[in-house]
Amino acid sequence: MENEFLKQRFHVTRRHFLGKMSLGLGSVALGSLLIPDLFKSGADEGAMLTGLPHFAPKAKRIIYLFQNGAPSQLESFDYKPLLNKMAGQDLPASIRMGQRLTGMTSGQASFPLVGSHFSFKQYGQSGAWVSEIFPNMAKIVDDVCFIKTMHTEAINHDPALTFMQSGAQQGNRPSMGAWLSYGLGSENKNLPAFCVLLSRGRGNGQGVYSKLWSNGFLDSIHQGVQFSSSEERVLYLKDPQGRDRNGTRKMLDNLAELNAMNFQEFGDPETQTRIQQYEMAYRMQTAVPELSDLTQEPDHIIKMYGADCLVPGTYASNCLLARKLSESGVRFVQLYHQGWDQHGNMVGEMPLQAEDVDRSTAALVMDLKQRGLLDETLVIWGGEFGRTNYCQGKLSKENYGRDHHPRAYTIWMAGGGVKPGLVYGETDEFGYNIVRDPVHVNDFHATVLHLMGLNHEQLTYKHLGRRYRLTDVAGKVVSGILA
Amino acid sequence: MERLQRIILNIIFCIQVLLIFLLFFEDKIQLPAWLQVAGRMHPLVLHIPIGMMIFLVALILLEKWLDQAVAPLIINFGLILTSLSASVTALFGFFLSLQGDYGAEALTRHKVSGVLLSFLCYFVVLLYQRKKRQYIFFGAGLICFATLVVAGHTGAVLTHGENFVMAPMTHDEKPVLTVETASVYHFAVEPILEKKCFSCHNESKAKGGLIMTTVEKFKAGGKDGTAFTEGHPEASRMIKAFYLPLSDDKHMPPDGKPQLTSLEITTLKAWIKAGADFDKKLAEYKTSDSLTFITTAFASSATPNQENQVQYTFPGLSDDKVAKLNTPFRSVFPLYQNSPALQADFFVKKAFEVKAVEELKAAANQLVVVNLSRMPVTDKEIPLLATFKNLEQLNLNFTAITGSTLGELKALKNLKLLSLSGTAIKAKDLAPVLDAPALHTVYLWNTAVTDAEIEVFQKEHPKVTFIKDSFHDNTILRLSKPSVENEGVVKRNDKVILKHTMPGVTIRYTRDGTAPDSVNSTAFKEPFLATETFVIKARACKDTWHCSEVYESTVFVEGIHPVKMELFNEPDPQYPGEGVTSLMDHRKGVSDVLKEPSWLAYRDKPFAAGFWFDKEFPKSMVFSYARNLGAFSFPPTDIEVWAGKDEKDAKLIQRIKIEQPKGYDPNKVAALTIPLSPQPYAFYKIIAHPVAKLPAWHDSKGEKGWVFFDEVFFY
Repeated sequence: MENEFLKQRFHVTRRHFLGKMSLGLGSVALGSLLIPDLFKSGADEGAMLTGLPHFAPKAKRIIYLFQNGAPSQLESFDYKPLLNKMAGQDLPASIRMGQRLTGMTSGQASFPLVGSHFSFKQYGQSGAWVSEIFPNMAKIVDDVCFIKTMHTEAINHDPALTFMQSGAQQGNRPSMGAWLSYGLGSENKNLPAFCVLLSRGRGNGQGVYSKLWSNGFLDSIHQGVQFSSSEERVLYLKDPQGRDRNGTRKMLDNLAELNAMNFQEFGDPETQTRIQQYEMAYRMQTAVPELSDLTQEPDHIIKMYGADCLVPGTYASNCLLARKLSESGVRFVQLYHQGWDQHGNMVGEMPLQAEDVDRSTAALVMDLKQRGLLDETLVIWGGEFGRTNYCQGKLSKENYGRDHHPRAYTIWMAGGGVKPGLVYGETDEFGYNIVRDPVHVNDFHATVLHLMGLNHEQLTYKHLGRRYRLTDVAGKVVSGILA
Repeated sequence: MERLQRIILNIIFCIQVLLIFLLFFEDKIQLPAWLQVAGRMHPLVLHIPIGMMIFLVALILLEKWLDQAVAPLIINFGLILTSLSASVTALFGFFLSLQGDYGAEALTRHKVSGVLLSFLCYFVVLLYQRKKRQYIFFGAGLICFATLVVAGHTGAVLTHGENFVMAPMTHDEKPVLTVETASVYHFAVEPILEKKCFSCHNESKAKGGLIMTTVEKFKAGGKDGTAFTEGHPEASRMIKAFYLPLSDDKHMPPDGKPQLTSLEITTLKAWIKAGADFDKKLAEYKTSDSLTFITTAFASSATPNQENQVQYTFPGLSDDKVAKLNTPFRSVFPLYQNSPALQADFFVKKAFEVKAVEELKAAANQLVVVNLSRMPVTDKEIPLLATFKNLEQLNLNFTAITGSTLGELKALKNLKLLSLSGTAIKAKDLAPVLDAPALHTVYLWNTAVTDAEIEVFQKEHPKVTFIKDSFHDNTILRLSKPSVENEGVVKRNDKVILKHTMPGVTIRYTRDGTAPDSVNSTAFKEPFLATETFVIKARACKDTWHCSEVYESTVFVEGIHPVKMELFNEPDPQYPGEGVTSLMDHRKGVSDVLKEPSWLAYRDKPFAAGFWFDKEFPKSMVFSYARNLGAFSFPPTDIEVWAGKDEKDAKLIQRIKIEQPKGYDPNKVAALTIPLSPQPYAFYKIIAHPVAKLPAWHDSKGEKGWVFFDEVFFY
């Protein structure tokens, strides 16, 4: 009897099993209530606005005026009169300390020092030194923080540029703008969070490649959107001939349905991204013409930026457009101005390059200021490395050139939580090595992220089994330049 | 069985008596080591009566449905076991309390409630045994259970501290300390003690009699004496304790607890050395004091996240509610993660509706930043904005407001930034807003408010910064060049249009190769017709600007199409183009980009090609060539024109020398016009010779030059 009783107890019928299982499932369901968004699909419309700063940001947007080709710090902001005094003499070995050279000058028998052909003066309350070829930037020195001690690891353009943009030299990582788009999302859902504008000066140039504004391993929605240099700033945005906006709407709705089916079948998150991007492009049809119409700008604004600001594809027009994009909530506007690679003919090319950027750059900073936007917009001006204090090629009375110099170079930032009117760091009298307060590219990135309210150690993305950061495994916030 | 029950009940009774005894004579008792061990079992044993009692409550409530023969037996047995374990727990608790180090008040509460529980349990057992007076039994049971809750809670307070359970739910709103305002003790020293010492040296759990959480008690020290000796870290008991070997009982913090880092020890030593002052601020210490260095390091290494962070204390909106406020044209989002403060931005003028602002009422208390820049907002919406009581930044740049209701904004106590650039506001409407107590900056650029009016405001409101105009520049600038709208190849009799990006300019031009001047040359008024390839030079002029530099372009006009074309010499393999078709595809090359299929190039061999005509016979032709002297791309030196009925019949009819450049000039795609025969020939063979030796002025003098052609035209 007792035995049968036990048997009955141990005998688990199917009904009993299912009943127990449903109880178990019930508790799993209860537990899952603690996991938010468990049953929501991966990405939806609102996902574009999910990113939030880790803490209160100083800057909400960035305009990065990238001077591609590496403008000489010695002809712009890092005044070294000793080089004029010692012109023609060889660079002392005690200064060079056997540091590496590029293939372009490593064969040179001597390294004759050469000073700036252009004269320098001090400006503003801060007394920052500015060369005569930047007369307008000289007017804004009190709004600007010069960092004279940037240094990088790369010595050639492409790796240096890639390093400056993505924190790695190889070119497979997301660009700064993509990281910010990933970390903070788009403020304005009618425009991409990361826009790229290109222009070309009259000096010796170096190319730019779309990998510089790549999303790397991040979702492709974070990729930089390149604006065209033609009058139509975003290509293929207009409805094609013979189709009106309603037609476009219908087409997109049907396409979205097809894509949704595709997503259900294959589950590729890129499909969702594609749906979102079509939707954004549709909204951009209204937003972009409102923005890119520069002819509506009043005369005094045009005078401020210079006449070129109405000619599409010029640096000046890109500055003006950058202001308008930024004003409309575009998180990161990246300009590239090419032509700063003065290996020779410094005297001929440098003033032309300076002329192209000087007025409109200063105008951009002033324009942001008068609109009350400078406080929340971080403007960055600078290249990928500096130039040597010695002459590359033939040193003559009239002309000279300078090779690549990664050991020390000058960039400046304005607005967005940076101390205005500050000259940070110091190079030696030869302008070759850093004496005080070096700022590595990783530190620069950490600082920029910090200003945007992001902790560079927490902004990570897991890819191929490890977490990646813009600052990789280094970087320290440069607290000395924070306002 | 009954015998056993009786024995147990007796033991329980004994323990109750023992407890009473201990309560009275606690001060006199010396605990042997084995009883100390028993005492330390208290945290283990205490769980038994809790579990048992919950089991019994369930059992008694369900008694009706149980086997009436068995249930009372189980309940009885359970009650006895509960009472026994409660008594033993209380006893062990006593032993533990004698080992000291607990805050007096909390301990007393726990002790009394524990003993009371032990008594009550015993009482309940007895009541159940009598089987009478059910309601008394239930009443006593209830009290017993309540006492259990109290005893359990007071015990938990002793081990885990106050508010241990609810801490994650209640927000700790401590003011953020800054190095400027807080004393060095509160800024740098206390956080270390809080992290590493407070858990054992607080009001409820004062190990060694030392309480560190309040300044007075910390100064007073523990039962062995003071914790620190002002000015003498080496003699201070707490510093010494840090340096004892980890195995030593007196080492602090005890083995197994998080230890102090060397930086933390250094900080504590420096603070004691500097006098162990609790109130002095950093500025009051000498700059050479090592405490100053350490504290400064603290200030900068303290995660910058918290630096100067504005703390918002108002309650936030739920994520759902915030998400609902977002539309494609209105973004509403927290200023940063977990911040209750919200920002609202509006985009796309065409899509703006007043309703979109009204809907923000849902977040009236949370909005700190509102950006309506460029939206057609009117004065009517201002009173609504004035109800967003926590608003700090309001951007109304380029909106349609006139300012008549602007005064309402002065009610905003936190309004700091007000942007009014590009609006039609007037000074008199602005005046009342300036009374807003926190107002810091007002942007008035591009408004009718004059400098004189601002000066008056500035005197009345010295704290407010007014930003009006920041870029004074009267230099006259040069205009950019005009351009031809339809560059490249145009059809015969197409309209040629000159254009400029700036409205209101006058464009003057010539078509004869001379430079246009700004007064007499033809002004471009309406498009003109293109008949044959020509060079156009133009410049733009406008009042208050310098005239532009001269724009130059060649307008290539489509001509007679040959019925057949053939290349007699293949182009250089580096620049093969698309063979002979490149010459008539109307795709223009660019003089800087020569490696591109529109270009055919020749260097070692001359260009030689045949053209067959039928019905229409040409009288002249135009070569379009790349002039890029730096890249060795020169005009040809001479051109041979052969003509005849067909290829065999063709004779050399003329040989034309082409003028060669005298020095570097700007790169361009230029036209080379070659007269052919007035006779109608059905076949032409054209040979163009590249420069054999680059001229003496060229950097690579003596080398062979190139010719690059992208198109030919016949007229």
